[in-house]
Amino acid sequence: MTAIEVEGLTKFYGRHRGIEDVTFAVAPGEVFGFLGPNGAGKTTTIRALLDLHHPTSGSARIFGLDSRRDSVAIRARLGNLPGDFGFGRQASGREALRLLARLRGIDGLGRAEALAERFQADLDRPLGQLSRGNRQKVGLILATFHEPELLIFDEPTSGLDPLMQEEFLALVDEERGRGCTVFVSSHDLDEVQRICDRVGMVREGRLIAVERMVDLLGKARRKVSVQLAETSSLDDLRALPGVSELVVSDGRAGFEVAGDLDQVLKALATHHVTDIEAVHPSLEEVFLGYYREEGGEG
Amino acid sequence: MSAQLAALVSSHLSDRRRSLLAWGLPIGLMSAFIVAIFPSVEDSVSKVVEKYPAGLKEAFGIGQLSDVEQYLHAEMLSLIVPLALGYLAVRAVASGLAGAAESGRLDVLLSAPVSRRRLCAAGFLATAVELAAVLAISLLLTMLGSALAGAGLDAGRAAAGFAGVWPLALLFAGLGVIACAWSLRTSVVTGAVAGVLVAMYVVDLIGRLDPSFDWLRYASVFKYYGNAIEDGIEPIAFAGVTVAACALAAIGAWLFDRRDISA
Repeated sequence: MTAIEVEGLTKFYGRHRGIEDVTFAVAPGEVFGFLGPNGAGKTTTIRALLDLHHPTSGSARIFGLDSRRDSVAIRARLGNLPGDFGFGRQASGREALRLLARLRGIDGLGRAEALAERFQADLDRPLGQLSRGNRQKVGLILATFHEPELLIFDEPTSGLDPLMQEEFLALVDEERGRGCTVFVSSHDLDEVQRICDRVGMVREGRLIAVERMVDLLGKARRKVSVQLAETSSLDDLRALPGVSELVVSDGRAGFEVAGDLDQVLKALATHHVTDIEAVHPSLEEVFLGYYREEGGEG
Repeated sequence: MSAQLAALVSSHLSDRRRSLLAWGLPIGLMSAFIVAIFPSVEDSVSKVVEKYPAGLKEAFGIGQLSDVEQYLHAEMLSLIVPLALGYLAVRAVASGLAGAAESGRLDVLLSAPVSRRRLCAAGFLATAVELAAVLAISLLLTMLGSALAGAGLDAGRAAAGFAGVWPLALLFAGLGVIACAWSLRTSVVTGAVAGVLVAMYVVDLIGRLDPSFDWLRYASVFKYYGNAIEDGIEPIAFAGVTVAACALAAIGAWLFDRRDISA
């Protein structure tokens, strides 16, 4: 059984399109990244999964249950951190936790205290007096304190300082370790690159790709820089499939390679190479490449 | 009551604890003041009221102001308290639904295994309790004012007068739930239902002033409000308006279940 199964999910707000024909599946225990710029449809998809928005057409199933009909049963098994977490100005984090614990039928606050210590979250001050980052920490604790089977995070590290971002990434790793499925919507590509097993990319309401992270990065063009001892036009390299953007100047060559490097290295072996550097593309470059291709630009 | 419903109601009341005093104190102190000055203004007020046109007295529910209970009704319970409590009811129910959506709280609550209908029921129930508490505070302060000034206000009649406001105000809480199914902006919900509240009062007033428009009064809950401090609580009207308020809240919850939740 899949953890999340979305089939042709479409949501229109009047004539304005939110998402259209979004289809993907997330396996149990998988960390799935949902990427896209603001307004692409990430939050609309999450809100449809949580039954906060009712889809115009299509369906979503979580743990095999229908997201509309079985919404309450589904929500008993998940934790959610909304994109712009808030709980009013007066309530403290502890009050919010107590209420959520009672609604979930949990005695006590579960592992909330340990998480508060770990994230250095102040559970006793009214949320209205906390900074965005400190509120976000409380939101993370509210989403995770009951050890759910599925975690849904919408821009989870927004407002967190770098140390707490690291702590969050470690937490996701631990959650995955105990078998929890994690669905992360983000436009922080570095974060997604570090924690996700697979990513879905959404653009203007449509899912344009779903890839394993390793495949995605492997498909990308690497930037290679070579320093030669002698002057050469490297025509043999230029002729290789997958090599592009070759520029040679003063014995230094720069080019891009798509796919396997084996032929490139064999071609370079016929020259006297004094230095070589291959830069793995960041997810951001891969992502932008996808967007350019799908958008028909460049 | 289920544990979830109890948790939601107590959380709602905890959030609104300041409003109990913010509304109960001024209404109670004003009523206490009205009752306390009655012995000193009794004669002059009676003479002035005698000169009012009969239609005007009928329209505002002013009979003979020969006792403190009638004076309390004329000054507070015929207009100020019902309008204030009706407005409070909308504010309270809107804060639990539209206000919660605006603050992001609704997203968090609806991440837990809670149905939207239960959320609406909790907001409505908590508002019913809040209204009763505000009326009780007002009654206590009014009785205190009477005791201090020796006005001789009858506790049973005063209690009936304040209690008579409760179903009327609750009806606007029911309308508030419906309004929240239409809009999740507190200002829109409050403004719309407060407009209905005033419109219902005006419609009832027109019907009282001009008998040819009496039929209009059926569109207003004020027709069923009466004068409980003088006539006692009319059980059928009390129960009927309470049932109508619950029915409106139930319709609101049904509609709320069908809308998208956006901040």
